[in-house]
Amino acid sequence: MKPVEMTKLSVTGPKTNLQNVIDTLYRLEVMDLNEYEGDLETGDPFEEAEELSQTLVDLRSILSKLPETEEDDAGFNLNEIQDSIEDLDQKIDDLRARKNSLETQKQSVKQDIKFFRKLEGCGLRYKDLQESKNLKVFVGNLKTENFLENVDSDRFDVFEGSQASIVVYSRDADDEIESALQKWSREEYSVPELDVSGSINAVLNQLEDRKEEINSEQDSIEDQIQNLSDEWRKKLESAESFLTEKVEKAEAPINFATTDKTFIAQGWVPSDKYEQVEEALAEATEGKIHIQREDESEEESPPVKHDNPGFVQPFESLTDLVSIPRYNELDPSFVILLTFPLMFGFMIGDAGYGFTTLAVFYLGYRYIDGAKDIFKSLMYASVATIIFGLAFGDAFGYVIFGHHSELAAVTGIHLFEKIPILFHRAEHLGQVFQISAIFGLFHVNAGYLLGFYNELSNHGLVEALLEKGSWLMLEASALVFYLYGATYGAPLAMISVALLYKGEGVEGVVEIPSLLSNILSYLRIFGVSVAAVSLAAVVNALAEPLFAMGTATGFVAGIGLLVFGHTFNTFIKIMEGFLQGIRLHYVELFGKFYEGGGRRYVPFGTKIKNNI
Amino acid sequence: MAAIEGMAAIGAALAIGISAIATAYTQAKIGAAGVGALAEDDSLFGQVLILTVVPETMVIFGLVVALISAGFI
Repeated sequence: MKPVEMTKLSVTGPKTNLQNVIDTLYRLEVMDLNEYEGDLETGDPFEEAEELSQTLVDLRSILSKLPETEEDDAGFNLNEIQDSIEDLDQKIDDLRARKNSLETQKQSVKQDIKFFRKLEGCGLRYKDLQESKNLKVFVGNLKTENFLENVDSDRFDVFEGSQASIVVYSRDADDEIESALQKWSREEYSVPELDVSGSINAVLNQLEDRKEEINSEQDSIEDQIQNLSDEWRKKLESAESFLTEKVEKAEAPINFATTDKTFIAQGWVPSDKYEQVEEALAEATEGKIHIQREDESEEESPPVKHDNPGFVQPFESLTDLVSIPRYNELDPSFVILLTFPLMFGFMIGDAGYGFTTLAVFYLGYRYIDGAKDIFKSLMYASVATIIFGLAFGDAFGYVIFGHHSELAAVTGIHLFEKIPILFHRAEHLGQVFQISAIFGLFHVNAGYLLGFYNELSNHGLVEALLEKGSWLMLEASALVFYLYGATYGAPLAMISVALLYKGEGVEGVVEIPSLLSNILSYLRIFGVSVAAVSLAAVVNALAEPLFAMGTATGFVAGIGLLVFGHTFNTFIKIMEGFLQGIRLHYVELFGKFYEGGGRRYVPFGTKIKNNI
Repeated sequence: MAAIEGMAAIGAALAIGISAIATAYTQAKIGAAGVGALAEDDSLFGQVLILTVVPETMVIFGLVVALISAGFI
């Protein structure tokens, strides 16, 4: 349950062996290099580092612009890439710029098409829409009847398009007509200036043709980009990972202390890997370097690598979400494994939702790379949900087992009634309530015990008793108070408060009421449980009348409602179960013992996946 | 007797309703700030989650008071 034990080592040798040592360490991938802080100078990166990292930056920028390809990996020639990289970048940028400008043109053509569609059927030609020396033109959405009734002048003509009206009027009478237009028009459209001619339909045809042209040009640009990608992407990808390694190696000496002829590299390796590192380095340099264990100084904190058996590992990411454990404290992943699925399962407690959430989490596990571990840990929670669901005899809000099993009533198989269950939650809210509170008491105290262990192993028994033992004693005194009255309870409580004051100072004493609020906080388990049962029942109750109609339509609608309702519920329950469950761990449990703030162990040579 | 029960039920409703509004109000503010922080640095997710859920204590207290006045405990 504690992080992996680390050993600090230093490697000293002549600079002639620097490259060898770096290559070996990179290959072993076990040593977390320490940055040198001291009086000696730190090393310079290898000469090629600057050029290589420049190439690498260019490469990554191009890779981010190229689409995926299905070509096979072809191998690469670094010189060829370095020579052609600039041209390639230029080419891609040109293509992309062209594509963007086409997109803008296409949008404007679409706008124009939309405009002329509104005029369809008006019988005018494009040039009739242009204003002339004597005539003005209004195009817009007009309440034509009102307009006609209220204009005295007759020096105008109205043409009706499918969704717009066109009013052509003489400049002589424009004041009167324009004020009437303003009054009775809802919207005025401006006529686009285009290089087209002919009737509205002819214009529309021309525009459609233009749109087609743009589309096909866009396709051809897409093809060109795809071709470039087919030709280059795999080469560039291999070159990228090759160069990443090169650059990392070339820059490693920045962390080392150097003199004219020698270097010193320091870092941490897991203690059980120490021999391996020592042997490999000695072999690579033919024994020409000196390797030694360094004493750990108090203020230095080794990097932290989780050390848990396989089934606990998914929960490490839930721990790291808050903070990485410190080197010398318990790794709480194991505790999360013990209680988080239990809480989630108890809160949802429905076999049907157990399976649906399991499906959702599995999909997340398969398709969301960044959160694999979290989804895996949630799958544990789903399994717990199924188990609790069977124990409560609930599936999608229907009672399946127990003496009034709805499943037995529907199927006529009385065996379902014989399957024993714990209790029906909907009918025994009192029990759910008590279980939640008792669980809270247990969980909070587990936190104090873990804290006690942390203090014990880091600061000794006295500190542990003062800081964590005092809380346990305070709880005990509350119990004594309740059972035997103030005569025994009060003095005991006073002693524990005094111990607490000595251990944690005023802050500890101020925190006392939070003990109560922390335990009460676990009543949310009760709350979510009740909500979970009721939500499922609501969906079923809504579908009930549809089934009762007895028609095929009713049946289909009922099924549809059930599917929709329970899918919706599944996501609500995932959210509630996860957030409330994990929050009880982060706030109520971790608050009692967890400090966090460790440094993650990242050995030299770790392949960091680039998200290109 | 019915009147007293009715008053108790109203009391329970007020207890949970008002505390839920208070929780929602604070969570909205913390949540908005938290999302801002996450936009800058998404490794803060755990801490932001913790800060966001802190005010929930209020509504839990409201729930307890409501259960007591409704005679559940």
